[in-house]
Amino acid sequence: MNTGTDHIIKSYDSELARLTGEIVRMGELSVTQLEAAIDVLERRDERAAQRVVGNDDAIDQLEQEIGHDVVRLLALRAPMAGDLRNVYAALRIASDIERIGDYAANVAKRSIPLSMVAPVAPVGGLHQLAKLAAAEVRQVLAAYRDRDAERAYQVWKDDVVLDEAYTGYFRQLLTYMMEDPRNITPCTHLLFMAKNIERIGDHATNIAENVWFQVTGEPLDKQRSKRDLTSSPETTKLGE
Amino acid sequence: MTDSALATNPAPVAAAAAPKLVVRDLHFYYNGFHALKGISMDIPEKQVTAIIGPSGCGKSTLLRVFNRIYAIYPKLEAKGSIELDGANILDPGYSLNRLRSKVGMVFQKPVPFPMTIFENVAYGIRHHEKLSKTDMEGRVEQALRSAALWDEVKDKLKQNALGLSGGQQQRLCIARAIALRPEVLLLDEPTSALDPIATSRIEQLVEELKSQFTIVMVTHNMQQAARVSDLTAFMYLGELIEFDQTEKIFTKPGKKQTEDYITGRFG
Repeated sequence: MNTGTDHIIKSYDSELARLTGEIVRMGELSVTQLEAAIDVLERRDERAAQRVVGNDDAIDQLEQEIGHDVVRLLALRAPMAGDLRNVYAALRIASDIERIGDYAANVAKRSIPLSMVAPVAPVGGLHQLAKLAAAEVRQVLAAYRDRDAERAYQVWKDDVVLDEAYTGYFRQLLTYMMEDPRNITPCTHLLFMAKNIERIGDHATNIAENVWFQVTGEPLDKQRSKRDLTSSPETTKLGE
Repeated sequence: MTDSALATNPAPVAAAAAPKLVVRDLHFYYNGFHALKGISMDIPEKQVTAIIGPSGCGKSTLLRVFNRIYAIYPKLEAKGSIELDGANILDPGYSLNRLRSKVGMVFQKPVPFPMTIFENVAYGIRHHEKLSKTDMEGRVEQALRSAALWDEVKDKLKQNALGLSGGQQQRLCIARAIALRPEVLLLDEPTSALDPIATSRIEQLVEELKSQFTIVMVTHNMQQAARVSDLTAFMYLGELIEFDQTEKIFTKPGKKQTEDYITGRFG
């Protein structure tokens, strides 16, 4: 519960605000990384891709700072109730954002071998996936910043759109590979990249769950309909 | 269920255990000052119930009504009912002697009697029962053991109790209270005058004693309430604002006033 009242000890408020600020900054960095990864893929720019991979360190660094601040708050402030949930959620959300950063860096890394072979048509589909994932992360960060449980729930629910898009893209890549074996190398890279982006969505839903818990004190444990069907035999049969 | 998962079920209130004390619409007046305003709560048997709240909220008053200690002062008045095992202790027909043997109390500042350690514990027992010397020695030892003090004082039972440390004096007061074999133990800020080690000892003791006694503790130390109690009641300006499982109070209180108080936002 955010009661909207300040703490009697003012520095406690500023420490909690700093924590929120760090999370939001870390989250924005991770989205920027994802967008940069897609950009270097489209531009086939190997050096820029290396830079994106290197930039992941900044996200890792922020996660460490958040971990340090959380331990400090727990030890020195002994937070209770909403404050406790706030600090607990920050620690968990930071770890999800760190993973999002890793996936974005992976996408950039795979763009390097892709830039060394002839361009293949389905690259554009990856852009669409990345756009969906980036919007999802932005939404959930806004929900976190505004302590908006309903908005977080919406993100959690809407991840199914990304899952469906991923399944569709998976089928498309399979078709390309079956059509021409020369497509197998680039399409396999694209497949891994797509999976990374789909996983970013899953981490966004984890963040949504933590925002929900932080605001309401209740777990968000409803069974979400899973639309990533790429592991189902039906999907892999397509095109045969 | 609708899309909005915000609509959650209300949490169950208070304990599943059988109530030892049933408080109903309790009002208390000091010379006309309305100190408790319609308190109703069930205090479960053999659990620790903590009462927290800012100074002047009525928490110590409530504790004192539980053994009618106010009866020694004129112009103090309690209305409503407090049933102890079904009998209303506020009923003038309920004898104070009977009540005090069932409900023991330990205060903020340890107040040993200026007599030997042994006599401090034996004094109250003598008041209620006639025991042989051997039986009395057994009872005193048992009480001191229960209060986790025996090993420290067994060789100096004849020494003056005022020579003990603050923490030991407080445990002696607990021994004195439990020597009468009460059913309910009231602790009024029992560790506020003690250092952290003595405080931990008392907290450990409370945990051990709850298998035998129903414990009600008033504390200013919220961490202490969180550490030792099963249920926590938050009071403000003479009213019971919230009473629930301690875990719930400290992770997800139901009322904004409770949240503001326990998170240090109280203006």
